[in-house]
Amino acid sequence: MNALVALCHFCELHGPRTLFCTEALHPPSPSPPQPGSAIPGDRDREADREGEGLTMRANSSATQRADMCEGCRSLPASHPGFVSVDSETGIRYLSHQHPRQPQLFSVVRQACVRSLSCEVCPGREGPIFFGDEQHGFVFSHTFFIKDSLARGFQRWYSIVVVAMDRIYLINSWPFLLRHLRQTIQSLQDTALKVFDNEQCVCPQRAVRMNSAFSPAVFPHQRSGNAARSLTSLTQHPNLWASLHSSFSWLLKACGSRLTEKLLEGAPTEDTLVLIERQTEQEEEMSGWEGAEGGGSNPQPSQSESVHSKDFQFDDGRQEDLLGPKFKSLRHLRQVLGANDFRQLTWHVLMGNQVIWRGADPGLIQSAFNVLKALLPVGCVRAVSYSPHYEEAYRCNFLGLSPDVPIPAHVSSSEFSMLVDVHNVERGCVNPVSDDDILSLYQFNISSANTQPTDKGPTLLNKIEVALSNGNLSVEVVSLCLLCLKEEWMNKVKVLFKFSKVDGRGKEDTQKVLALLGATGPGEEDNVRLLKFWMTGLSKLYKSHLMTAVRGGERTLSQ
Amino acid sequence: MNVLITVTCVSLSFSWASAEFDLAQIRLIVYQDCEKRGRQVLFDSKAIHKLDTSEPYTRPASDVNMIGEMMFGSVSMSYKGSTLKIHHIRSPPQLMVSKVFSTRFGSSTSGSTNTYVSCFFSSAICCYMSLLNNVFFLHWILISHSNPVDMPSRGHSEDGDSGIARSASLSSLLATPLPSPGSSFSSGLSSSYQRRWLRSQATSLQHGPMPRWNTEEMFNLSDESCNSNPAMIQRKKIAISIIISLPEREEENHNFQEFFFSHFPLFESHMNKLKTAIERAMIVCRRIAESSQRVQVYLCRVMEALGEFRMTVWNLYMAPRISEPVWLSMISQSTERNLLCQRFLKEMSLLMEHGAKSQFLAALLTAVLTHHLAWVSTVMPSSLPPIKSACQKPASQTVDLLAKSHPYNPLWAQLGDLYGALGSPVRVCRTVVVGRKRELVQRVLYVLSYFIRCSDLQEHVQPQGQMDNPASPCTSQTTDPTPEKTCPPKPDPLKPTACVIGTSEKALNSDLGNAIPGTSVEQNHEILLTDTNSTSPSPSSESTAVRPEFTEMGQECFGEDSDSVGGGLEHILANQSPLLHRVQFHIGSPSETANDGQAGGLTGAGCGRGLDRKLHQRLLSDIRRKESSDSALGDSDDEETSPRELHEDCTNLVCLFLCSCQVESRASVNHFGHSLLGGYCPQYMPDFALHGISSDLRLKQCLMADLEHTVLHPALDEPVAEALCIVADTDRLSVQVVTSQRRVCEGGRLGRDVMVSNLVHTLITSVLQLFALNIASDFCVMHLEDRLQEVYFKSRSLAEYLRGQTRVHVKELGLALGIESSDIPLLAAVASTHSPYVAQILL
Repeated sequence: MNALVALCHFCELHGPRTLFCTEALHPPSPSPPQPGSAIPGDRDREADREGEGLTMRANSSATQRADMCEGCRSLPASHPGFVSVDSETGIRYLSHQHPRQPQLFSVVRQACVRSLSCEVCPGREGPIFFGDEQHGFVFSHTFFIKDSLARGFQRWYSIVVVAMDRIYLINSWPFLLRHLRQTIQSLQDTALKVFDNEQCVCPQRAVRMNSAFSPAVFPHQRSGNAARSLTSLTQHPNLWASLHSSFSWLLKACGSRLTEKLLEGAPTEDTLVLIERQTEQEEEMSGWEGAEGGGSNPQPSQSESVHSKDFQFDDGRQEDLLGPKFKSLRHLRQVLGANDFRQLTWHVLMGNQVIWRGADPGLIQSAFNVLKALLPVGCVRAVSYSPHYEEAYRCNFLGLSPDVPIPAHVSSSEFSMLVDVHNVERGCVNPVSDDDILSLYQFNISSANTQPTDKGPTLLNKIEVALSNGNLSVEVVSLCLLCLKEEWMNKVKVLFKFSKVDGRGKEDTQKVLALLGATGPGEEDNVRLLKFWMTGLSKLYKSHLMTAVRGGERTLSQ
Repeated sequence: MNVLITVTCVSLSFSWASAEFDLAQIRLIVYQDCEKRGRQVLFDSKAIHKLDTSEPYTRPASDVNMIGEMMFGSVSMSYKGSTLKIHHIRSPPQLMVSKVFSTRFGSSTSGSTNTYVSCFFSSAICCYMSLLNNVFFLHWILISHSNPVDMPSRGHSEDGDSGIARSASLSSLLATPLPSPGSSFSSGLSSSYQRRWLRSQATSLQHGPMPRWNTEEMFNLSDESCNSNPAMIQRKKIAISIIISLPEREEENHNFQEFFFSHFPLFESHMNKLKTAIERAMIVCRRIAESSQRVQVYLCRVMEALGEFRMTVWNLYMAPRISEPVWLSMISQSTERNLLCQRFLKEMSLLMEHGAKSQFLAALLTAVLTHHLAWVSTVMPSSLPPIKSACQKPASQTVDLLAKSHPYNPLWAQLGDLYGALGSPVRVCRTVVVGRKRELVQRVLYVLSYFIRCSDLQEHVQPQGQMDNPASPCTSQTTDPTPEKTCPPKPDPLKPTACVIGTSEKALNSDLGNAIPGTSVEQNHEILLTDTNSTSPSPSSESTAVRPEFTEMGQECFGEDSDSVGGGLEHILANQSPLLHRVQFHIGSPSETANDGQAGGLTGAGCGRGLDRKLHQRLLSDIRRKESSDSALGDSDDEETSPRELHEDCTNLVCLFLCSCQVESRASVNHFGHSLLGGYCPQYMPDFALHGISSDLRLKQCLMADLEHTVLHPALDEPVAEALCIVADTDRLSVQVVTSQRRVCEGGRLGRDVMVSNLVHTLITSVLQLFALNIASDFCVMHLEDRLQEVYFKSRSLAEYLRGQTRVHVKELGLALGIESSDIPLLAAVASTHSPYVAQILL
């Protein structure tokens, strides 16, 4: 808890004194204070302290030390203090006679004086809460400790818990009261035993009755007695270490008394797939201890894992390759022109194999990076640059060097499309900037597809609106794309549940498609997209739905 | 299990209190402490019989002097702000809450005291009162001619400002300490996290006392109608005390106290309302010339305000609650999830049918999702893999770690969640469902209890009858005061309560033996706690005990619910436990540790530092993924020992092991998630985040004043820009939003009608259609969450869109982002939780 605990004593000679103080030092803040935020800086605190009605100004421990007896002291001046570390949280609990943090010194002093000489507790022993915003808030419990030599055979103490969070401290009242009572009870019981022993040995009442009262002698008599420390009253040589432990525990337990469970949203399918791929990759890597995977020319057997890695670090890797690059979907659209772009993205979204063939692997990879954003992570299987053709089931993005032949069954298939990147013959023109891709390359798009690509899917139509609107920044477009993808992923989930898990018939499926908003113009494309995207669902999600069904049936049958 | 008795209840609502709570058990005392004249009672409800009798007053109660002492203390404080006190009176058992204020008087422009003396109480009234009652209980001389001219107190100009600061202008609230939109901080973390972090900082003791927004609260006796200026501060204090008699039966007493202390902010807020009423009563009766009438008016007004207070407190304690709030039940118990989902969707479907024509449900949910914003962080996608199953939302680990390393008040956090105080500027909202058909109202409440969300609280307590209590410093002493057994509590390898490492005891004892004051001057603090295995006094038992205990301790101490919290911390602990065997606590000069061949040796000061850093890297890894590296959890320990890293404070301290004790975790009952989701109540309640009533009569009377009061004295303990109330009328099928920012509403209506968001409409429709198609109900609920997540994503794109815009093109939003104009209020509110600048642009 963000608080400190102090044991205070009303010394018969010196008035209210702080004996022992345990404070919690929290680890550095998990995030740096923001500029302009209300995190306290270095205000002139001393100015606030002026004009206190109480004698709060005996602030320096040096002046106090000179004016101190055994009864007002806990640890000797030479003692370094105690520390306990909560290894889980990094919070350190420090105990000294006075707080180590200078700004807390007067706060504790104030709490001590108020608890023992200002605030009135009926019966003198018991709990009080008091405080204000300037001095902090205090839960105080006053109590007596038996002392055979003291006036009235007892001394007055208090334990104060000081915090700035008024409400937290008040909320903790029942807890603090319960545990401080135990602490106090334990001190009192121990002192009572000592007291009884001392009384057996030398009954003080009799001594006092018999000794003639003499005003001249009285102060001297008392001054010796007033100096008894709490250690001597309890005959507990390690009292302060024990109190340190008790107080540290109290602070810790009070802070963790209530915990909250705050839920976050479930991770997106993209996150789940990435985690799954990473796990697979780690397993594979650990399989081939020390083997150098990856490289610019990966073996087919490695390509899967390498490319899942690619997906995460693509930006970084792209930097390695020089030359012109596609920067965004909008850039790609500008370069290819709206028609070719529409065709290309249509094929990407339908799950067809998109082959780019050209001499510049950097350019091709940048095109893939931009295009991948159209799909859920789970639907992306890319071989960014290969010396030979890879089958469609291995990859839906394939980069090839210029001379690699495309097998006939592929070039004649409506489920693939080819982008040939030709270098433009460059004369002795001025060196062109990297950005000007069109002056360097020519793009030829070909596909055996005969379906119209201008109707759907709905998602593509919406993306194109965003891309063609120059008012929208690249960031807005990419968030817009994210929204659309998530929206359609949610439809994919429903369709998966409906058709694959529950195995519903066509009629019902049509109803679901309608309620998902997948019907209407472009319906065919929407359905194709949904079916393709289904393959991108995470394993975890699929298996959860499958087991949930079994689990659900069990609960129903019960 | 006694965890949640309420869960098993079949009925829709339950009450807190086990027995009647007597209204007369709440007593009000108003006291004045004047430097010259001493203390006088200005009001004591115990001394008043009935106002309509000819003899309304009796003798002052015998305890008033003592109460005065308790209220003001035996020494008067010069502090100018308000002071809060709580006393527990043992017999008869009572709780007393007092607020002590400095007074502020209005003075006329001339500054002469005479002018307002005449319009205020003269000592004549007091004499009259004294004669009439033979007592002095109504001494009421706040100003007299003999008073010296008041000295303006130091810093009174700040006092004057505080009123403005508190009224929380919108612009100042927009500057609330939320990180700038461009910072990496705002992108990934929810405002739930930010609120909690800021709270832990704002209430940190490490920063010392901080003047906060409500520091200079005064007792205001300036009459605004007299054109006064509030500059004069009298050397007088006025204190208001509420004394609550506690039930005699132990259990009832306990329950009430638990309720009282956990709900204190609400009690306090009502006390503030009472104080304002007393202020007004004093000001108003000043204008009355005839003295007996003046007294009568004063007493009537104060009694009326007290009546109101009593009724509110009674209602707060006794009113029925929703026995099974859907959201909280769903996240706390996974076994009955399917049944819960089924019931929830069924009730929602029925509701949808009922108000189909008017789009009642869609309008209500639009309003609720717009203003009770705590749902947003529950759909923000986690970046962590799910622990159990894909459908279960993960518990936020960043918040969890924050709570442990920088404790804040979870009850406060929950209150903010329920009131939806997560946006920027901070707005708080309540929802009231009005209707004569009990069943229908209860159905609405039930459905809304899924959308009005908050965190779930767990309480960790020591089991009953546990012997070794770490709170008792003398446990082992009480029976056997031998100096050998001193490490508290007694180490016992069989119990996790023990201090974990045996050596510590031995070494410490030798050290502490020397440390007894005055016995040894040349003591040496250089103690070595080396390998536990070799120097432990009982190696066999200790060495086996250490590891399991350590990990166990971590879990038990924090009541780690392994269901809800991920492997993060356990992972750290598991990594650390082997280290324990070679830990070397070296108290003294850090350089001396170097020659001991133990690579992982940590100095006493460093012992927590390494973990602490790891913890934070772990925490930060979610915040700034770029900065974090895997080594944060790995084996980069060596660098931790470098002297540069050591915290100065700890280098020379005697290191003791932190004791832990076994705790039982149980669902907390006394929390706002249960108490502020009301059922069908007999009367309108100003505190509940949600409740139902049969008639809006009282609502109409009180609502505006309540909303204004909420802005001035928010129970949330932080500045609030606007207070809102959603009023859903199931009879008329209307949904209105009432705001503290008074806007003229035509035709005597309370607030404005809610525009149905198309997003919300399609969301409900498709969820309920799926349900109608017989899709498993828990899948439907998952889909509902997915759709809410879509709303969140949309708000992200809206925020991004607004970042670059000076004008909002609604048509463009519709075409490009799929955001319709009806969705803008909802999406802007959601966006303000993660991108505070949105509010500024849209204003």
